[in-house]
Amino acid sequence: MAIDLGAVEAQLSTAFPGAVVEREGDWLVLDRDRLPSIATYLRDEMGFDFLTHVSASDYADHLDVVYNVYSTRPELQGPGLSFKVRVPDRVDARVPTVTTIWKSANFQEREVWDMFGIHFDGHPDLRRILLWEGFEGHPLRKDWHEPYYEEDNKPFGSRWPYPENPRPRSAEQRVHWRANVQYPQGFDPEDWDLGADYPPLFAPKVEINGIDTEPVYLNVGPHHPSTHGVFRMVVGLQGETVTNLTPVVGHLHRNHEKIGERNLWNGNIPYTDRLDYISPMYNEFAYVVAVERMLGKEVPERAEYLRVIMGELARVVNHLLTIGFQFNELGAMMTPMIYAFTEREHVLDLFEEASGARMMHNYYRIGGVYGDVSDEWLARCRKVVSRLDRKIDEFETLLTDNEIFISRSRGVGAMSWQEMVNYGVTGPVLRSAGLSYDIRRVEPYSIYESFDFEVPTYETGDVYDRYRQRIAEARQSIKILKQALNRIPATGAIMDGKNAWNVKVPDGELYSRVEHPKGELGFYLVSDGGTNPYRYHVRSECLINLAALEAMSVGHLLADAIVILGSIDITLGEVDR
Amino acid sequence: MDWVADFWIPLIKAVVVVLVLLLGGAYMTWGERKICARFQVRYGPNRAGPFGILQPLADAVKAIFKEEIVPNHVDKIIYVMAPGISFAAVLITFAVIPFGPEVDLFGQRVGLWVGDIEVGLLFLLAIAALGSYGIVLGGWSSNNKYSLLGALRAAAQMISYELILGISLLAVVLLAGSLNLREIVDFQGTWPLLVLQPLGFLIFLIAILAESNRSPFDLPETENELVSGFMTEYGGIKFALYFIAEYTAMVVNSAIVVTIFLGGWKWPALISDLHPLAGVGLFLAKVLFVLFLYVWIRASIPRVRFDKFMRFSWKFMLPLAFVNLLATAAVVAFL
Amino acid sequence: MPADYLPILFFAVVAVVLSAIAVLMPALFGPKRPTSVKLAPYESGKLPIGPARRRFSIQYYLYAVLFILFDVEIVFLFPWAVVFRDLAPRWLGLAEAAVFVLILLLGLAYVWKKGGLEWE
Repeated sequence: MAIDLGAVEAQLSTAFPGAVVEREGDWLVLDRDRLPSIATYLRDEMGFDFLTHVSASDYADHLDVVYNVYSTRPELQGPGLSFKVRVPDRVDARVPTVTTIWKSANFQEREVWDMFGIHFDGHPDLRRILLWEGFEGHPLRKDWHEPYYEEDNKPFGSRWPYPENPRPRSAEQRVHWRANVQYPQGFDPEDWDLGADYPPLFAPKVEINGIDTEPVYLNVGPHHPSTHGVFRMVVGLQGETVTNLTPVVGHLHRNHEKIGERNLWNGNIPYTDRLDYISPMYNEFAYVVAVERMLGKEVPERAEYLRVIMGELARVVNHLLTIGFQFNELGAMMTPMIYAFTEREHVLDLFEEASGARMMHNYYRIGGVYGDVSDEWLARCRKVVSRLDRKIDEFETLLTDNEIFISRSRGVGAMSWQEMVNYGVTGPVLRSAGLSYDIRRVEPYSIYESFDFEVPTYETGDVYDRYRQRIAEARQSIKILKQALNRIPATGAIMDGKNAWNVKVPDGELYSRVEHPKGELGFYLVSDGGTNPYRYHVRSECLINLAALEAMSVGHLLADAIVILGSIDITLGEVDR
Repeated sequence: MDWVADFWIPLIKAVVVVLVLLLGGAYMTWGERKICARFQVRYGPNRAGPFGILQPLADAVKAIFKEEIVPNHVDKIIYVMAPGISFAAVLITFAVIPFGPEVDLFGQRVGLWVGDIEVGLLFLLAIAALGSYGIVLGGWSSNNKYSLLGALRAAAQMISYELILGISLLAVVLLAGSLNLREIVDFQGTWPLLVLQPLGFLIFLIAILAESNRSPFDLPETENELVSGFMTEYGGIKFALYFIAEYTAMVVNSAIVVTIFLGGWKWPALISDLHPLAGVGLFLAKVLFVLFLYVWIRASIPRVRFDKFMRFSWKFMLPLAFVNLLATAAVVAFL
Repeated sequence: MPADYLPILFFAVVAVVLSAIAVLMPALFGPKRPTSVKLAPYESGKLPIGPARRRFSIQYYLYAVLFILFDVEIVFLFPWAVVFRDLAPRWLGLAEAAVFVLILLLGLAYVWKKGGLEWE
């Protein structure tokens, strides 16, 4: 199933003669200068209202900015349109922004600016997002090299460059490259003003009831008990009411994508575990699905069932944990959280037996899974599933009708689904606002098509509905798990062919997305036919869902902003990459 | 002047009661951690001594030997004094609470209370209000936004609920006809006031939870928004003082609830008439029960939001407390 | 009797002395290695944005004003409550207090109506 690219091209060419510069595989190359008007046309006339992915790729002679748009119209849901614009000038790279058309482009364009140095004309707030202001260079450009630079591709040669001398005990300490940080010209870290990394914030006095008051700006995070890690919000407060809120991310940045480009295709599988460390199984799922789509590889049936079982277990665990954290933010003193963790332990026991690790599983393989499971494992899994089923009921008994919870979550952070789509919000948060959009249904992957499950939705998208949405989705996952455990073939291969140590992926590029427990997790991969990805980009649903945080929080109290952040459900490992 | 009866006995009583309270507060931290842990399918402290029983001592030693940090942006004198005010106020509150009848100890007739004054209830309210100074001053002097927000919340919350506390106690005074706590206990010889004042008891319980900043009304320190609220800038022994003041306040407040509504050491008369010390045991058992209630509430329900909580206070609790007062007065007048 | 307060004075002195010792004790123990970062105000690990003491909107200052009003009134009610059982015709005492309380509640209702109990 794919979109009829020819029809789209024809329609675009009629509306904007010469808009489609070129057709490159499944991608249309659009005219850079007329991008805003073409984008408006795509959104309003052709129904592509859902821009989920913006990224870029560096080729030696030019840069490409790639976009993936989808439609939320019921008849158009499904595969979307992939297009790109070409930037020939590497020094003064400029592209018109589409933030005004799709707000979801905001953070992603900032990321492209940060990583590739492509300037987006008209962007309202084009600052670095993952790196700090003042960082030297744009690291995802192919000609940028970090201080410990060795080679472009793994496997590396010997790390120690003097084979005639014995290796020192700690290569990092006595490294011949000396300093492991590089600074821009004329930059002295000693007199760098730490406070300079936020925009001018001293808003004028406001008169309330005839009394002059000044807004107060408060850092919430990075070292704050309830920002789920090193996430920072700069909150403007009028009394205790939030007047503006700026998310600041990147404290946990490690340039996942640059490292991913140097890893082998296989070597990235365990590396995706480090993205959303709450549900690593599903990250691997997303990655192997993407690579298999590039390879056109079939996966044996038993392996598919195992993938779905692991993935859905991860989803149930993720939703329970989110609810637990949510209540922790509401001040329930950890009790629901620890109940959720208790259930997680049972699932982790299963994961551990299957994969050998409790958290960083490294279980999925390109074309299959790492290891088969025994019949006892399946029997135990059935027990765990029925236990989870009971426990979800227990959670509901304890939490759903709690008076304090309802009074604190009803109407808090509510947003219409149309607005959420514009912000690029995906996953349970989007569905809780009333749009039935689940990638397992609209663009099925693996064997999800063969399962009978519903896509639950709620109406308002407030914190309470997000809670109920997660409960409902966990129930649907249980339903899938029960079917999968009943129907899984008793025997069969778990790998397509031999488990290859090294995979060569044919030339091409693709954006592939799956329904991660937290939203749409996509991988944008470019291959030059080699053993490493040429470009490896993670479309992080956590980061993009955060774009809507300010709009959801303004006008609520500080306490609500924290709860809204919790209900968006982020993992900093994935936000910052 | 009878030196033994008028000087030494009160002094010894004061020292003993303060030490017992201190120990009670310290062990309340242990108790809460332990009970909460059981609510949450955990073990809680179990490393220092059997069942972690030495944990409070270990914590205290650690706090004492920690580096003393007085940040250089604070009002130093107030900053240092504030935890002391909080702690002292909590201790002094206990001065008027009787925890047993008169007994013969070492040949002396000793009343098991520290002070026996006519306006005990007013004294109680007055000193309890002092405790909020410690919090407000601490939050203000810290010169930190979290602390300031916490302190402001503390001020608003404490005054709102003090009002309700006072009104619910008025009904008690009406029935007992005295402000003396010992007489209020004597009044409950047959039935505890809980039976006569069920609504008043509930109002009082909620108000005292709010007054002592306990979950679900722990809004001045709300870890999840304000990091630690008014005590964000405190560390070492000063933090420990705030902390132990909070837990001692729990013990003291439980003692107040027990004295006023649960019959103190008096009820049921069957047990307390056996031996005076059995009355003390009864008092302790009741205090422990109320403390358990505190922890139970904390482990079970989420925190309310501050604006709703204030609205609840002024729009619901205050009129309700007045209704309770007038209804009680009407019943006393016409029956 | 003033002598009744003597034990309370003792108690207060013991409590205050204990608190003072606790507050001042760590000056004797514990290391002292201040650094500029340790002494900086805490704001989630970042340098604070602006000072903490600004003309800050306190949405609940009206509660404080109201509190003073009501608290003073309640003090008047305490003597009434103590002697209520001894009043000659009790219903008269009740009626008087009821009028007093109703006027108070009227005030509350006025503030309520005016939106003084709401947050901006």
